[in-house]
Amino acid sequence: MAGTRTRGTSRTTAAKVANLAALVQYECTNLLVLYRKRENLPEDVASDRLVFVSPPSSQLDTRSKLLSLHSALDKCHSLLERAIALEKEDLGGDETGEYENGRRRLKDQLLNLLRSTEELLKAAGGQTVRSLDGSEPYRPSNVFHQKLWVYSVFTEVKLWSETAVAVLQELQSDAAKEPSKRSKRSTRSTRR
Amino acid sequence: MPRLLNIPTSKPNCGSVWVAFVLLGISALNTQAKIVLTVPQQVRLSPNFFTQQLTISWFGGEATTFDLIILRTEFNETVFYNTVPAVVNQDGGRHQWTWTSVEPLECTSLSVKIRSRDGITKSEWSEPQILEGRDLPSNSGHQMYPQDRVVPVGANTTFCCIVEEGKEFRELLYGSTKMNVKRLSRRSYATTAVNQNLSGRTGTNVICRFKDLYKLAGSVVFVGYPPLPTNFECITHDLTSAVCSWDRGRDTNLYGKRKTRYSINKRDCEVSKCVLPQWDGNWTLVAVNPLGQYSLTYSAELLHRVVPVAPDKLAGTTHPWNATVQWQWPYDSYSTLALVCQVELASRNILNVSGVGVRSVFLPHLHPNTKYRVRVRCASQNHFFKWGNWSKEFHFTTRSSAPEAPDVWMWMNRDNTVRVMWKPLTQWQSHGVLTGYQVTLWNLEENEKQTSNLSPKDNSLNLTGWASITGDKKAIATVKAKNTKGMSQPSSIMLGVIDDKSVPLARTIYSSSGFPLSWQHDDNRTCSYLVEWCEAVCTPDCTVDWIRLDAGSTHVSIKDSIVKFQPGVRYNFSLYECPSTSPVLIQRWQGYIQELPRFTSVNLEINQQYCDVVLSWEEIPLAGRGGFLKGYKVYVNNFSNFTLLADLSPKIRTYTVKDLPTSTYEFIVKAYGSAGQDTVSTATIRLKQCGM
Repeated sequence: MAGTRTRGTSRTTAAKVANLAALVQYECTNLLVLYRKRENLPEDVASDRLVFVSPPSSQLDTRSKLLSLHSALDKCHSLLERAIALEKEDLGGDETGEYENGRRRLKDQLLNLLRSTEELLKAAGGQTVRSLDGSEPYRPSNVFHQKLWVYSVFTEVKLWSETAVAVLQELQSDAAKEPSKRSKRSTRSTRR
Repeated sequence: MPRLLNIPTSKPNCGSVWVAFVLLGISALNTQAKIVLTVPQQVRLSPNFFTQQLTISWFGGEATTFDLIILRTEFNETVFYNTVPAVVNQDGGRHQWTWTSVEPLECTSLSVKIRSRDGITKSEWSEPQILEGRDLPSNSGHQMYPQDRVVPVGANTTFCCIVEEGKEFRELLYGSTKMNVKRLSRRSYATTAVNQNLSGRTGTNVICRFKDLYKLAGSVVFVGYPPLPTNFECITHDLTSAVCSWDRGRDTNLYGKRKTRYSINKRDCEVSKCVLPQWDGNWTLVAVNPLGQYSLTYSAELLHRVVPVAPDKLAGTTHPWNATVQWQWPYDSYSTLALVCQVELASRNILNVSGVGVRSVFLPHLHPNTKYRVRVRCASQNHFFKWGNWSKEFHFTTRSSAPEAPDVWMWMNRDNTVRVMWKPLTQWQSHGVLTGYQVTLWNLEENEKQTSNLSPKDNSLNLTGWASITGDKKAIATVKAKNTKGMSQPSSIMLGVIDDKSVPLARTIYSSSGFPLSWQHDDNRTCSYLVEWCEAVCTPDCTVDWIRLDAGSTHVSIKDSIVKFQPGVRYNFSLYECPSTSPVLIQRWQGYIQELPRFTSVNLEINQQYCDVVLSWEEIPLAGRGGFLKGYKVYVNNFSNFTLLADLSPKIRTYTVKDLPTSTYEFIVKAYGSAGQDTVSTATIRLKQCGM
């Protein structure tokens, strides 16, 4: 009975968190467009990878997938916080502008996604791992380098939100398949 | 060796000696001109990358001028070549000269050579001294210079892009503008942004793009203005500290780390206001940003710059007709300060109050049960500088008081019963919430009183229960209004039959300003007047309105009121004298706002008398007359012809048609006024044989 309840909860929660991830993806895509437009950056500008976490493979179990995803999102959130702090410190900021509002929304939505992913991980019996990365926070050598770095942060957030959508949708369909597996197992046990 | 000159001379020995001396002098001069200039030694280069200045120093011996050449090393291209006067640095004995490069010194390697010069005589060039640029193969990555430059609007700035080893240059963009470039070396390309406009809030990006590479090199330039604050002044609120303020002036367009920083007397300050713990009397505001510095000074004595804070915690003591409002001051120092305060009442009146440490004001001439809003601000009385801020609004309501006496009048019904009427008190007159009216009837002859209590919605009382007033019976009706605080003064009226038969009746013609009424004033009469009006056909409880006029009035125009004037309806107007004591009717008027050709039908009697036909018809009731009746017209219809028989005055309502031949006749009576006529009666008769 408890398993049945967990299955029903997991399916619902994974769907809900997938929606949160889609929201982050949407917000981030818009923000990237705003940022490129404001800074006159070419469409094909290259960005650097900043989060070095193995993408959750479909071979992994639910707990491992969620752990990997949570770790990446956690790093994304830290990077985004650092990016916002640098922009505020160096460039000041009209806190009511369209870009600043979008940036604030993205940060809130990413935090929401991170917390929800943690809940899913705990429900799957997992535990978050504290990052032991003791490296110094990023310090730009010049403003242009900082701008490219911020762009890379947004790109990283977009990439991982897309990954989150894919992983969570996969978990959703896994959870949907489980009732038929469970009923077969109980039949077998009865036979024994 | 100079050639000896053979100068023929006729003079023997003196000329030869003279020539010898000349030749000796020339020889001495030539020996001096053959001095060899030393080649400058130990040439040293000191770059300042931020200012793009290169300080060149050397040991130059006795020479005072030098040729200096600076080349871009790779392309051997001359950037600078000139003769310069060089100053000897007394400390080291080195000559020194500073050159400012248009391009950043990092862009490419520069070679510097110097030679001494003395007129047309020059030394050999020194060995080239090289300032290495950042475009050496050992710095293989892409780079851009200068970085994070801050320049004023209208400046020109030269940027250079150093291409990554093995890659090719594609383009240089200033914002979204593709720039023309000059190649400085194998890897280094430069461009100059001329007369730069304001950058965006986050600066303008200068981007270098490469072929087959999605990476970018770039730099951000910030274009803005130096600070220019205005209106610097210092005041005190508490007679101890100084509050200094200024306007930021023109927007510098520089934010974040580049924003303007302010200090006053070397203390850092926030954006446009600074509180300093004590009154210095002299202040210097310094505003600094990367583009410059601007200073303003201000001096004043403490007592000449007192601006009180807004009065706080307003409270009030209220009465029906006045109130006292008090407030508090947060600083003890105000208790010995002469203040002048403005008290603004309900956005209309401003009252001034002054005194040492003043903290209250008396507000006279208020009205009972009325809401008021008040706010206060103060200034120094002895050395007025400016008003302090207004306090928060304080709302209060005055207490209630007994109401005003109502305006009372009476109306005589057709059956000679009396209706006592009064105008409902307005909120202003009520002085509180009305609870009702009390009407007292006092029969003077029999000394009887009868009191009725009525609701606040009532505004009349029919005295139907009381015997009709006829003859000399005297009675007084008194009306008092009541509220929670008591009763008003009584309003009394003498009741009695008013004789209107001998009073002249005139017509009044309506205009846009109302029904005009005018009368003669008798100087012997000192009473006031009252004009009353209503519909001429006044059914019981019809609406009656009135207006009181001062003694000596001679005219009034009556406009729409609770009596709504309608076309085709006759209105009566009556003028009374001494209305409150013993009303006397002195004049009457009637009028229509617009007469209509409308008269109601009446019965028509038609009789044959011998060979005559006698017509008689009823009077048209007043309610049926759309205008003043001017007369009747009698028509006969004979074989579809309408023939006018008579045009009669309005007093005549009978007509005899004589000697009609035996036939059938239809008679029509029309009433007419100034707006037209209307059929009021028709009748048909078939005459019998007559005259036999």
